Amino acid sequence: MPLTGVEPARMNRKKGDKGFESPRPYKLTHQVVCINNINFQRKSVVGFVELTIFPTVANLNRIKLNSKQCRIYRVRINDLEAAFIYNDPTLEVCHSESKQRNLNYFSNAYAAAVSAVDPDAGNGELCIKVPSELWKHVDELKVLKIHINFSLDQPKGGLHFVVPSVEGSMAERGAHVFSCGYQNSTRFWFPCVDSYSELCTWKLEFTVDAAMVAVSNGDLVETVYTHDMRKKTFHYMLTIPTAASNISLAIGPFEILVDPYMHEVTHFCLPQLLPLLKHTTSYLHEVFEFYEEILTCRYPYSCFKTVFIDEAYVEVAAYASMSIFRSDEWVLKGISGYIYGLWMKKTFGVNEYRHWIKEELDKIVAYELKTGGVLLHPIFGGGKEKDNPASHLHFSIKHPHTLSWEYYSMFQCKAHLVMRLIENRISMEFMLQVFNKLLSLASTASSQKFQSHMWSQMLVSTSGFLKSISNVSGKDIQPLIKQWVDQSGVVKFYGSFAFNRKRNVLELEIKQDYTSPGTQKYVGPLKVTVQELDGSFNHTLQIEENSLKHDIPCHSKSRRNKKKKIPLMNGEEVDMDLSAMDADSPLLWIRIDPDMSVLRKVEFEQADFMWQYQLRYERDVVAQQESILALEKFPTPASRLALTDILEQEQCFYRVRMSACFCLAKIANSMVSTWTGPPAMKSLFTRMFCCKSCPNIVKTNNFMSFQSYFLQKTMPVAMALLRDVHNLCPKEVLTFILDLIKYNDNRKNKFSDNYYRAEMIDALANSVTPAVSVNNEVRTLDNLNPDVRLILEEITRFLNMEKLLPSYRHTITVSCLRAIRVLQKNGHVPSDPALFKSYAEYGHFVDIRIAALEAVVDYTKVDRSYEELQWLLNMIQNDPVPYVRHKILNMLTKNPPFTKNMESPLCNEALVDQLWKLMNSGTSHDWRLRCGAVDLYFTLFGLSRPSCLPLPELGLVLNLKEKKAVLNPTIIPESVAGNQEAANNPSSHPQLVGFQNPFSSSQDEEEIDMDTVHDSQAFISHHLNMLERPSTPGLSKYRPASSRSALIPQHSAGCDSTPTTKPQWSLELARKGTGKEQAPLEMSMHPAASAPLSVFTKESTASKHSDHHHHHHHEHKKKKKKHKHKHKHKHKHDSKEKDKEPFTFSSPASGRSIRSPSLSD
Amino acid sequence: MADAAATAGAGGSGTRSGSKQSTNPADNYHLARRRTLQVVVSSLLTEAGFESAEKASVETLTEMLQSYISEIGRSAKSYCEHTARTQPTLSDIVVTLVEMGFNVDTLPAYAKRSQRMVITAPPVTNQPVTPKALTAGQNRPHPPHIPSHFPEFPDPHTYIKTPTYREPVSDYQVLREKAASQRRDVERALTRFMAKTGETQSLFKDDVSTFPLIAARPFTIPYLTALLPSELEMQQMEETDSSEQDEQTDTENLALHISMEDSGAEKENTSVLQQNPSLSGSRNGEENIIDNPYLRPVKKPKIRRKKHGILLCCPGWS
Repeated sequence: MPLTGVEPARMNRKKGDKGFESPRPYKLTHQVVCINNINFQRKSVVGFVELTIFPTVANLNRIKLNSKQCRIYRVRINDLEAAFIYNDPTLEVCHSESKQRNLNYFSNAYAAAVSAVDPDAGNGELCIKVPSELWKHVDELKVLKIHINFSLDQPKGGLHFVVPSVEGSMAERGAHVFSCGYQNSTRFWFPCVDSYSELCTWKLEFTVDAAMVAVSNGDLVETVYTHDMRKKTFHYMLTIPTAASNISLAIGPFEILVDPYMHEVTHFCLPQLLPLLKHTTSYLHEVFEFYEEILTCRYPYSCFKTVFIDEAYVEVAAYASMSIFRSDEWVLKGISGYIYGLWMKKTFGVNEYRHWIKEELDKIVAYELKTGGVLLHPIFGGGKEKDNPASHLHFSIKHPHTLSWEYYSMFQCKAHLVMRLIENRISMEFMLQVFNKLLSLASTASSQKFQSHMWSQMLVSTSGFLKSISNVSGKDIQPLIKQWVDQSGVVKFYGSFAFNRKRNVLELEIKQDYTSPGTQKYVGPLKVTVQELDGSFNHTLQIEENSLKHDIPCHSKSRRNKKKKIPLMNGEEVDMDLSAMDADSPLLWIRIDPDMSVLRKVEFEQADFMWQYQLRYERDVVAQQESILALEKFPTPASRLALTDILEQEQCFYRVRMSACFCLAKIANSMVSTWTGPPAMKSLFTRMFCCKSCPNIVKTNNFMSFQSYFLQKTMPVAMALLRDVHNLCPKEVLTFILDLIKYNDNRKNKFSDNYYRAEMIDALANSVTPAVSVNNEVRTLDNLNPDVRLILEEITRFLNMEKLLPSYRHTITVSCLRAIRVLQKNGHVPSDPALFKSYAEYGHFVDIRIAALEAVVDYTKVDRSYEELQWLLNMIQNDPVPYVRHKILNMLTKNPPFTKNMESPLCNEALVDQLWKLMNSGTSHDWRLRCGAVDLYFTLFGLSRPSCLPLPELGLVLNLKEKKAVLNPTIIPESVAGNQEAANNPSSHPQLVGFQNPFSSSQDEEEIDMDTVHDSQAFISHHLNMLERPSTPGLSKYRPASSRSALIPQHSAGCDSTPTTKPQWSLELARKGTGKEQAPLEMSMHPAASAPLSVFTKESTASKHSDHHHHHHHEHKKKKKKHKHKHKHKHKHDSKEKDKEPFTFSSPASGRSIRSPSLSD
Repeated sequence: MADAAATAGAGGSGTRSGSKQSTNPADNYHLARRRTLQVVVSSLLTEAGFESAEKASVETLTEMLQSYISEIGRSAKSYCEHTARTQPTLSDIVVTLVEMGFNVDTLPAYAKRSQRMVITAPPVTNQPVTPKALTAGQNRPHPPHIPSHFPEFPDPHTYIKTPTYREPVSDYQVLREKAASQRRDVERALTRFMAKTGETQSLFKDDVSTFPLIAARPFTIPYLTALLPSELEMQQMEETDSSEQDEQTDTENLALHISMEDSGAEKENTSVLQQNPSLSGSRNGEENIIDNPYLRPVKKPKIRRKKHGILLCCPGWS
């Protein structure tokens, strides 16, 4: 099992004064990135990087860097050619042609592969050997300059090219390119230390066409023409130490807008969009001022740039915007989310803020209860499977690159909610002081000259953050952190009460569910607010282990005698009609945890009239929202009245009124048999938005008041959900909506009505009910329902008008497509994906594409169409836009064609293979996509072997629990048994040229992966083979590159844990503390191989599945003569029995994926 | 020519009223008009340097002139009716002339030519007489600003009206109704036309004409139409068009809007002042003060230092 918390035991590391300790045996101080040729036609990039590093250990003899996709031509260290090896185990996660197809297995292997190149574990894809001439130099810890020439050809991730296929030069066509990616993905476009923890200063140079602009981080020092005057070079300097992962680039024929309020801020957009840019950015300066004011800190960088591009990967990407790094991501995400909240509170008001917090809280609660918990600060102390803090998940949470996207967004959500909890605890003032302190520490540090321990103060860690909090506030928030950060899960309260009249006491019972997945037990204070006749009172209950009941004394004598105003929490005094109340009780309503100071879900029982009072009179929008939700269960005329009153109340928060609409629709449907009067909301809408004289005609649009605009937009959508006794949408409502559309007149409006019209189409779609079908007749025009005909008329006209007069962001097309799918699904229109497929094509605006794809996904599910599923899968692999690829996977996961417990004709072996390939090797260029594929695989097949696969009869079934191995006698050895051996046997040595695979650190290779060992013969022959393995190193040097046997290791020394002494060209990483014992990893270099390396073989077809040459390598134990005298010897089988389940051996580190196309010399 | 055109207006309207009249006076009228045209032709010929002309040729030219003028009148009337007006405007005439292949720009110069001959107004003597049968009461005399050669006002009985009062309320309703259905009809007709003339998609396999959907066509740069929709342009145009009419109804809104803008502007100003007093100066001043690296001129290449030598040789790698 890989570890992030790898403690490099034997590394002679210079320790920083405090805090962060680098996992790397060197410190990067400066990096030059120079891209001197960008070819839009071929989508290629040529350039070099130069890293200035200081070794921190004397015997540094190899340097690991991150690099993906890049073709590396040449590496020089201090002008000396250096040998290098390029190995990316994430290219293909599982190598064995195992029929296992088990997600558990995959996730472990994937996590292992990621950590095998994780810069924070001291790893990397690119391993450079320090030339022997420099060893002495290194021993003196002198500076090394690593110069790497590289190129990128048609990158599939990291850098995204957008090249519209029209006439003209690239600039005229609006071609542009930009960096993108999930988490730290800079390695996709230049070699670097792709970690947030390695800060250095930067010099960035980009030579681009004279008509283009290159925007990157730092200060633009100068722009210089090339000698032929056809290109220009942009020179950037970034003097504030910044992590490579925060370096970004955008090149295109951008229009430039200098912010009129802040000249150091520059905005860029694609040609023709300048007016839009001006509008969009016109408030940015206010945001800036807010941030600077609240943090009492100047923006650390001297300039700020925003670039607006097409086909973006995510909606917003911040690079080097803050010089803070996360070593603990939750702190960073939390702080930024928290400050966003503060900004929102200031800009949009407290109601909006509280509403947002409530929404975010509901989201995280729902997600955690569904999936079993989000852990902000995982500690992987144990390493045993059962200690895995995230064993409920189908992916590893140790690496950002293995996180499911949804989990990651929930992670961010939780992080900022926890920040808010901390604020509740220590006050906002202190909170801001803490931020200020962190920032000023960072900016002081950044101005220092290179001193590694100073720069590390620019990194934010949990401990540093907590320390700062306790320094500033003097408060201990450790329990809070323990509860919400170190532990996953939310709290689930069930509350009910009884009023004891004799004692005048409220007997409150609060239960918790802490056994369901995703829950945790809460012990501590809990605020309860009780609104009585005499006022509102706060009580703080102590929630303890076993106490469920809490007695709360009431202040009011029960009888409301005279007409007296009732004081509310905010001091306001209001008249209430108290006739609905229980005569014996003074209680109006009760709220549990009103301030949302626990991450919880509350299910509270109180009488319907109490909810109604709460809705009408409680001033907190969250309380109103809660009562609306609760009232759904009380379909009575009183609820109806309360909701209608809220709808009419202008002072009421618009979002509350909007949700009241939907609640009212639900109540009306429940009350359908007793409902009197016109359909719900109709008369209200008429009164508010229709002409006084002709009530069937809506007033001409005037959206000056946003509150009423939102209500006007929402009411018809909710009304369309009304159903009569036949469960049909009342004719009256449909006519009403059609009239709204007909009389819609926006000519005198200052605002566009595109969103309004789109919602009207949504309303039409909402009114559709399943068609009455006789004998599954084919849907034709003749048997079309007349109401549906009217709806179709509108949709047709709207959709066609969009072609002539498109609306902003094509909102209307989007709604039309959705509505058509609804009609199809309800059997009014023949179900057919052709229309959606044409709208899903590349070349439509992204919103349209997503809406169309959503319909295709739905069609695939409903019609169980194998063809469409294939079409979607093809698009996932080939669509030019990464966001679309991601979304398709995402939508397929949310609306899967089948799930693991479902019989489906779609679920077959070919599909399993296809998806397996997709996540195993097809998505190696995009972390997010791969995680999306894993999510989908999980949804479709679950964690274990997909049920549609034939039983794994061919194989060695090893049950470790019972310590029994059953060998299936029918096993047929594969034709290339000799190679198969290597594939299945983890003890084989894949390494070449005496250059030990540097990535084996994550592997637990001493253990045989019983899941993969299904070929027993191979297994046996392997052991035989091992005995005859040549022990002469360097042999493969002379092997032809195409030779498969080149993968047979040169030296067997150390195999089977026989330690071999190695010269100083070796480095050992020992790991500790994973429960599953691991053999210390070692990298070794045979003396003979320390001569210049020449042949790094590489098979061009390496990643093909037909290739059965899968090699799991073996770890060697070696001793470093100089530095090491002892090492712990662990037998490979030592720990096996400890594990309760079959080993899931991860093989990513196999040497097969060596991709270096060339080599030195 | 210009004069001829000027008289054409009178002639045109004369045709209409003339045709209503009984044969005899109408004939007279036509004769008079024809005589005028003959005078015009003759004077034009004189102007062109002819001393005499055969009767037949003068007749032919007159015929040509008459039909030319009639055509202008007819065509101008069509244009004016096309835009839902009853009275032709100058622009209708201009469009007509352009349509007939006449270079309108030459007209003013021609009208001001020095040697032009002025023709006196045609004699008003034999005006068409209204048929007795239909005469009822006394026709109103022309007010002073109407030349006497213009036709008379219609008979008094044509002014008789029976007022019918409709609720002003329903009037609004009808207007809205009309506007709505008119727009809908136009939209439907237009989209159907587009659908018929181009590729379509259909929701029903057995029927392609009832709900024809214009086929989706991918764009090379899809964000342009999505983010800068023509719908907005239309709206802006309409806004400027209808701004005058709106003024009465929307005064409140407008006032509100303006006040909002004001406060916004004030706020912006103050914030600028707070932030940096020097900036406010540059705001009304020249843009040149802005020192933004992206606005600086691109430098000419200089002799590179050694370090850059590497840079230069690198393209060779590709």
